[in-house]
Amino acid sequence: MSSSTKLSALDMPDVPMGHLPEHLHLQRTRVVCKADAPIHTEGIQYSGAYASTGVDISMGPNKFCKNFKIEVVRLTEDEIEFDMVGIDASLANAFRRILIAEVPTMAIEKVLMVNNTSVIADEVLAHRLGLVPLNADPRLFEYLSENDTPNERNTIVYKMEVSCKKGGSRVTVKSDQLKWLPNGSELQMTTYDSSAKAKSYTSFSCSQDSLPEFSKKPLGVRFDDIILAKLGPGQVIELEAHAVKGMGKVHAKWSPVATAWYRMLPEVVLLKEVKGDDAEKLVKKCPVGVFDIEDLGNGEKKAAVANSRACTLCRECVRGVNEELVELRRVKDHFIFTIESTGAFSPEELFIKAVKILEEKCDRVISELS
Amino acid sequence: MNAPDRYERFVVPEGTKKVSYERDTKIVNAASFTVEREDHTIGNILRMQLHRDPNVLFAGYKLPHPLQYKIIVRIQTTSQSSPTQAYSQAIDDLDKELDCLKKGFEDEKTRFEEKLRQGY
Repeated sequence: MSSSTKLSALDMPDVPMGHLPEHLHLQRTRVVCKADAPIHTEGIQYSGAYASTGVDISMGPNKFCKNFKIEVVRLTEDEIEFDMVGIDASLANAFRRILIAEVPTMAIEKVLMVNNTSVIADEVLAHRLGLVPLNADPRLFEYLSENDTPNERNTIVYKMEVSCKKGGSRVTVKSDQLKWLPNGSELQMTTYDSSAKAKSYTSFSCSQDSLPEFSKKPLGVRFDDIILAKLGPGQVIELEAHAVKGMGKVHAKWSPVATAWYRMLPEVVLLKEVKGDDAEKLVKKCPVGVFDIEDLGNGEKKAAVANSRACTLCRECVRGVNEELVELRRVKDHFIFTIESTGAFSPEELFIKAVKILEEKCDRVISELS
Repeated sequence: MNAPDRYERFVVPEGTKKVSYERDTKIVNAASFTVEREDHTIGNILRMQLHRDPNVLFAGYKLPHPLQYKIIVRIQTTSQSSPTQAYSQAIDDLDKELDCLKKGFEDEKTRFEEKLRQGY
């Protein structure tokens, strides 16, 4: 039997033109998390990838701006959770990396020990002091390099003097004992030239609290109750600490976030109708409550997806079953970001700073191309 | 003991250029860009943006060694474009997208704060 006209497969009435067939759309936009490993994880960027179906998936900056959406879910003083739709995984990861390692902060770098008779060794105490989050805005400070002298524009000086009386009970040294010295270092550098005037370790030309930026908010530690050391009777700690500006890349104490992470939006789909006792079992299996029972009337119960956003991919619903009832998917371009700040910046300022830093990086990478 | 100083991860030393360009002698329209003191943060984004360009035949990046802080981006284009053109176009597009992203976030932040204030 021969047909008089030749029909292309693409002209068949049931093939949708102009947009991708269902299964290809699933492959392109969803990661399917099977019981053993995820599939379709690669991001398909090339505009001609589906050229044979007549679909153009090109994405220029204008199309990006139209499809892009941000939605803030939760915003507190320390934490922000927001959704970004329409970006690629590489951009999300870049923001996470920049938030953790490249947003500058202030942290204690040099500790001048005058007297330490506690059981905590000098270097261990100095290490702990470095990790204490400070309430200073790093935008008001400059970096201190090796050849610079420490002055009021690049250093913050703190003092700690604690002692425990003989015969008294033990003293816990908490971070509120770190007192800010707005006039700079009080310790004298030893010089062998007796005629020269004694110099201190920092040369502040004016007091830091006379500067307008610092008069509103005194520079102190963010959290008062961090335990730094414990003193027994007769033990003394006397030290001076200098804080400078730095980035998380050099040492983690300069990281402005407790942590920052993202996850892709989960999508949980029931492949078959699950009724009755099986429905009850499925609802019980999920530890976070993704499924729920739907009453159909006349005593019949059916399982339905109530809250797929809570899915943590524990895979309890697909483990050990003989047939696949549930499909766990992730939407490739929808990211749920959470940023927890340690206090120097507020979390929304942190994200804006991270975007600015990424823009500066891009500019540096192109402008220095001769 | 032999590890380089941590500030070397982002400080470009005197004398070395930040970005250098090397044409591939054996393949037409192909080049390698060596970007000093950068890592996956910018490399992966650049690679993703280059893949979106219809004139780019090959785009990839690698870090030759984790203790040598540089990336090598290799681009091959059709004869209608050149690797430098594709690279500049990709960075331009990225700048525009980041502007749009920042504006979108600031708008959403003010909208959310308004909503919070009205909710009380």
